[in-house]
Amino acid sequence: MLATLLHKDRPVRDVPLPVVLFLIMALIMQLSWHAQQEVVTAQAEDLPAPMSSDAYKMISLNEPVAVSKLLNLWLQAFDNQPGLSLSFHQLDYVRITQWLDTILALDPRGHYPMLVAARIYGSVSDKVRQRIMLDYIYRKFNEDPNRHWRWLAHASVVAKHNLKDMPLALEYARALAEKATARSVPFWARDMHFMLLEEMGEIETARVMVGALLESGEITDSYELRFLTEKIKELEEKSTK
Amino acid sequence: MFSQVLTISKFTIIESIRNRLLWLSLLMMLIGFVLVEFVGDLAITEHKATQLAVLAVFLRLSAVLLTALFVVTSSLRELQDKTLEMILAMPIKRSSYYMGKLLGYIQLAVAVALIFSVLLMVYAPVEHVVVWLLSLMFELVLVVALSLVMLFTFKQVPAALTGVFVVYLASRIMSSLYLLSQHPIVANDGIGQKFIDSFVAMLTWVLPDLSRFTQTDWLVYGLVDWSQLLPILIQTVIYLCLLSAIALFDFYRKNF
Repeated sequence: MLATLLHKDRPVRDVPLPVVLFLIMALIMQLSWHAQQEVVTAQAEDLPAPMSSDAYKMISLNEPVAVSKLLNLWLQAFDNQPGLSLSFHQLDYVRITQWLDTILALDPRGHYPMLVAARIYGSVSDKVRQRIMLDYIYRKFNEDPNRHWRWLAHASVVAKHNLKDMPLALEYARALAEKATARSVPFWARDMHFMLLEEMGEIETARVMVGALLESGEITDSYELRFLTEKIKELEEKSTK
Repeated sequence: MFSQVLTISKFTIIESIRNRLLWLSLLMMLIGFVLVEFVGDLAITEHKATQLAVLAVFLRLSAVLLTALFVVTSSLRELQDKTLEMILAMPIKRSSYYMGKLLGYIQLAVAVALIFSVLLMVYAPVEHVVVWLLSLMFELVLVVALSLVMLFTFKQVPAALTGVFVVYLASRIMSSLYLLSQHPIVANDGIGQKFIDSFVAMLTWVLPDLSRFTQTDWLVYGLVDWSQLLPILIQTVIYLCLLSAIALFDFYRKNF
């Protein structure tokens, strides 16, 4: 008990008055100094080229997933800082794809780079830049179709509605049907190309493809079987009109 | 009173020499040299700029680390060995003890900065290095004062060092944090977000902006302007006063 009392801090009144005044004065000086400083503003900078993924692994003491997440945030913040004169239209999209590649190489299981490619960088009104991003998504899809199928499905929709490029949308949808074969891939994604063919007026082709798919026996899901059976009926009705 | 301050400062320096702090600085300099030569071999282009940038960052962080470690561990050892109690039992004011320690450690920090900048002179023009060196000295002065505040507050090596590095890192990144908090990528008007934004804004008022100190650009691109040192000097003086006042306030309330 005595030891506790002895080691308890002394009351504030034991601090000499000059020390208290010195503390108050120093605090006022610091606040006044800060008030006189220029307001911090964001500086526009070009996006630099990324280093190799091995370099980032080394810098992060072999924490590739952590550094990948940090790079995601950094890249996103780089492009989105208000106050910068940079907008998506001014960004070097080829350079962005290099960054996304590096981030994916560090954390291949992460979806963040693909999401920003599809939904952020791929949503600009500039068609050239949009195509760069869609090409990038297609390339990554081909590397691992069952992991990246959802982003290619999104790319197909973007190609159809934003770029009005039906052949491109169809190319992506066909790739989905042919390569994304895992059970986890929903049938709406694999069957997108039938809908696109139908919209393009290629009724007969769509009908033949749906029929071939049904006959192949690859479809085991009862909902998908029902959907495709109804679709083939619908297509047959259209082709006889 | 001033003679007491000088005596304490003198013994602080003697202790650092016995602890081989300066030898350790020379060793760090040697490691920096090997590192930078290795980096130089790797660089395909901007060979000198790459070497300078890596060396400057390495030396700056090493200087901060060495200084903080030495100040915290040596002062706390004095506290734990009851040497401090013995000194305070003598007719010495607490403020004299504090000033003596501060002065001694600042001299050591200046010596460390001088040793490190010798190596930089091999790679960069002397004028650029001198500006960088002066700025590093100011930065280390603040690290010394911050370390003293933290050790008086926490009286434990891990807690004190953690406190020093948290405040130091926050001061280095505060301007970037402030920008991020003011312009969030996804707007969020929640109470939690507002609290965090206000907290970050408040921190910018009470922490020094160390990102303006000891900039690598000065060495790599020769962006040296002596007038840049004046605001750094003023900030150092003001913040040194603030840290000293906090340390003294805490020190006078302590029972040993």
